[in-house]
Amino acid sequence: MSRLSRRQFLAAGGGVIGAAASGVLLGGYVWPMLEEEDLIPGRPPDVALQPHAWSTIGDHIRFAAIGDNGSGGRQAMAVASRLAETYRELPFGLVALLGDISYYGNFEERYAEVFARPMAPLIDAGVGFELAIGNHDRDLRHSDEGLKEIEAELRLLGTPGLYYSTTHGPVDFYFLDSSMPGVFGPGSSTQWEWLDDSLASSTSQWKIVALHHPLYSSGHHGSTMVARERLEPILIRHHVDLVLAGHDHDYERTHPQHGITYVVSGGGCKTTPVGHSVFTAAAASILQFLVIDVDRDRLEGRCIRVDGTVVDRFALRAREGR
Amino acid sequence: MRRDTVDRIGALGYAAVDFVVIIFPAVALKLTADQGGMGDLDGIDLLLASGVLACAHAVVAGTRLRSEERMAVRRADMWIAAVDAIVVLALAATLLPMVVLWGFADEHASMAERGYPVVALWFGVQAVAVGLAELTGRIVFWWLEPHPRRPGSWRMAIGHASTRVNRSNRRGRRQRSVSARSPVRNETDAR
Repeated sequence: MSRLSRRQFLAAGGGVIGAAASGVLLGGYVWPMLEEEDLIPGRPPDVALQPHAWSTIGDHIRFAAIGDNGSGGRQAMAVASRLAETYRELPFGLVALLGDISYYGNFEERYAEVFARPMAPLIDAGVGFELAIGNHDRDLRHSDEGLKEIEAELRLLGTPGLYYSTTHGPVDFYFLDSSMPGVFGPGSSTQWEWLDDSLASSTSQWKIVALHHPLYSSGHHGSTMVARERLEPILIRHHVDLVLAGHDHDYERTHPQHGITYVVSGGGCKTTPVGHSVFTAAAASILQFLVIDVDRDRLEGRCIRVDGTVVDRFALRAREGR
Repeated sequence: MRRDTVDRIGALGYAAVDFVVIIFPAVALKLTADQGGMGDLDGIDLLLASGVLACAHAVVAGTRLRSEERMAVRRADMWIAAVDAIVVLALAATLLPMVVLWGFADEHASMAERGYPVVALWFGVQAVAVGLAELTGRIVFWWLEPHPRRPGSWRMAIGHASTRVNRSNRRGRRQRSVSARSPVRNETDAR
């Protein structure tokens, strides 16, 4: 075998180093990102919906819940279109946003792409939106930039605060801030005290808590143990019925844990793999959202995939002895 | 096995790798969309665009390799250049669309809303990646191969010395011209 010339050595060495570097870069970062992100621009839904077609009365409400839908990409638009189509068949007056409503830039600049355009048919129909803040909505570190971002979100969506409660029909909703320092930081006890007091004074038949970080999850990020340790005792003490979360880009419903059903609904525009844990009742790595009907003492939830298929149904009875 | 058959198989294999490298990002996106529950037709536009480009470039790359096989003074040059080209292709065909889509998410979103076909953007960016790879393959091959000097060529004009033989030739010419003048000088001295 003949010796390599200097040029051959340089070109071959460059090729080998380039191949190794490309392998690491592509295999470790770019290809997983390609599979997990929603970067291809999409077209917003082009449907007109009948305004105020829902009926939220004293003992009935239907609402939708969607998480991690802030890409403005093709998959986000497809999920938003399906959400609008679902409104036609099953009108709902409220959408619970489970956080991460803006990826790839700050919310104020991307408001039109990630919220106003995809949700336009629902906004025009008068549907209300209530937000639980996610980690991508505000930087995990409590920076000035992060605060500015969250202020913009609260202002643009008309959200009353970082954490708050609302009542719709027979349900008391509690929207929590599970980002730093809401759950993890030194000032988090203020939120827990507020939640404890609010749940204690609740007189509604149903109590539903919504936050971004899941207490139980078999997905990519997994269960948020710090939140579980601090939050679960309060939820158990006050007989909360249902906890909705996002963060993991999948769908997962647990068997009742101390009487509470936990649902992750984070497939608003991206998907990541999900496993099965001992607490898992149903799980799927799909683009999806939830539609939940509460009628007197019965709650029925449906997980609707982006193609319109109902992939999971669950029913809860209001707990007695409150 | 005859050498020509081996060369043909090598070129075919290279073209196949080239095809896979170009089409892979679109396949990954399509599989993800399918797994997420998007309809069968979602993502097929990008797959078709990448498929057309991959087919075209696989033919070009295979033909380039066959022609280099005939031209190459050293066969290793051809394969080194081919590997360099495929590395650039692998990197650029995936990374460029990602960077362009990520870096200009807002611009693409508003353009898409106005009916701008995303598939054109995808095809265009991947075509740039293919162009870069093709250029790399050809330049590296040209750079590696020894080139016979032609009198009056630009390399001669700027004094590019690629081989020791050429340098020694130049020295030889200089020496010859000195010795050619020296008899005259000698004659003058003699006078």
